[in-house]
Amino acid sequence: MTELGLRFAITLTQISVIVGIVIVTVLLLTLAERKVLGWMQDRMGPMEVGPYGSLQPFADAIKLFFKEDIMPAGANKFLFTAAPLLALIPAFIGFAVIPWGPDETWEIGGIAVKPFVISDINVGILYILAFASLGAYGIILGGWASNSKYSLLGGLRSAAQIISYELNVGLSIVGILILSGSLSLVHITNAQEGWFWNWYAFKPWAPQFIALAVYVISTVAETNRVPFDLPEAESELVAGFFTEYSGLRFAFFYLAEYANMVLVSCVASALFLGGWNAPYPGTLLSLIGFPSLAWIENTMWFAFKTYSFLFLFFWLRATLPRLRYDQLMRFGWKVLLPIALANIVITSIIVFIQEQLK
Amino acid sequence: MTTPSAPPTRLKLREWLKTITFYEIAVGMKATLMHLLNYKPITLQYPHEKRTLPDNYRGMLALLRYDDGTEKCVGCDLCEAACPSRVIRVVSAEVPGEPTKRYSKEYYMDMTRCLFCGMCVDACPVDALGMTREFEWAVYDKRQLHLNKQQLLAIGDRSFPVREKRLEFQHPNTAFFNVAFTHVPPKPD
Repeated sequence: MTELGLRFAITLTQISVIVGIVIVTVLLLTLAERKVLGWMQDRMGPMEVGPYGSLQPFADAIKLFFKEDIMPAGANKFLFTAAPLLALIPAFIGFAVIPWGPDETWEIGGIAVKPFVISDINVGILYILAFASLGAYGIILGGWASNSKYSLLGGLRSAAQIISYELNVGLSIVGILILSGSLSLVHITNAQEGWFWNWYAFKPWAPQFIALAVYVISTVAETNRVPFDLPEAESELVAGFFTEYSGLRFAFFYLAEYANMVLVSCVASALFLGGWNAPYPGTLLSLIGFPSLAWIENTMWFAFKTYSFLFLFFWLRATLPRLRYDQLMRFGWKVLLPIALANIVITSIIVFIQEQLK
Repeated sequence: MTTPSAPPTRLKLREWLKTITFYEIAVGMKATLMHLLNYKPITLQYPHEKRTLPDNYRGMLALLRYDDGTEKCVGCDLCEAACPSRVIRVVSAEVPGEPTKRYSKEYYMDMTRCLFCGMCVDACPVDALGMTREFEWAVYDKRQLHLNKQQLLAIGDRSFPVREKRLEFQHPNTAFFNVAFTHVPPKPD
């Protein structure tokens, strides 16, 4: 009983730490996005709240918290309330299988604990994809339940877009699954140890950088970010599926969008760029005599890779205009899908030849 | 007979390579990155720092006084006639005790309509109107922008501390033409 209780307490601690980190990252991202976008456009971004606008996320959070919560007339009350949660929960739930640090096992109170991953399930990547698709329900239902034409159109667009691009996300990952022979993110990350050419993006003979490009483009579309932000195209649809949302529910949608960004960046760095592995074998901290602190360096590498992807999201937003709807669909189905399929075929042929040559 | 359709435009190899390597997007992203690295914002943090106004800035209108404190305005209504948006209303009257002189008994400006063209200032024969460099006149109540004579004089007092002498004490040419012909020497008294 005490062991179960201890296990429970440890898992809860892990969950709360990771949710805390994600929420802090989202707060940082809301500020960083406005700042980076401003700097790229010769503006300053928020400057008023705190020194150089550094407290702006808290001001935004307080504002959203105290805003009036409006329910439009004719809205489906149950779905209107459920939709933000349906968007938020799948965005956060995926973090359970992300390995944040080295695959170590710590002894805490006589129990073996893997501190850097909440649960190492053997279908981790499948689990993330499944919950990412569930997140689309939140958007579609939110658009439908609002009883507003803009919301409905945003929701419909989002449904079509997410279905189209999720296919490409799934197919671009298959090459890595062939190479690693596992669906577990922990196993995939462990297999990329050593020099940086062991990362699957640069793996000799079967580099997956084309798959990485397909993955990044598709995840930008899947998280409804510029240049694929048609579900919330403000020049056409006011704010798309969350036009009618305000206050805390709007904050939930906002949080879900950013949490999804963080999640896909984490997955991208874990799958393609070696996750927590440094670009050199081992770690510098263990080399200079602190092997017990090596996890700090590994975690920092993971954070660096993830934040680089997040920066790429902002960078794309500052650069590219929005696609037209037919361009979006054509690009997804006629360009990215054949590339992803060809990548699978080529990767499997190469892997097959390598196996035969062994 | 159907006319043979034009052959499908084939991409040249160079353009095809540019397309598959995202060349245009890379150029655009380089541009934004260069702006990020050579960060020179053109923003002015307005309430904390203000831009320098040009010399001929046309700001809030004001009524002026002579250096002895008497009002310049002679109530001629020319500003009211010149105003294209009917901002100004002048109620003219004789100066009590001096039947040859007139002044504006009441003078109203509806600044909600003013477009700051400066025509009233040009029209004034005695330079009784001036344009100050004030521009922060945002108010919560629109009625606060209906200004009367006292308010307009107060604006003039705070914006033009250096006042002219009375017309009759100035150069005689100025007194007649309202223009200072400074190259003409004044007549000896």
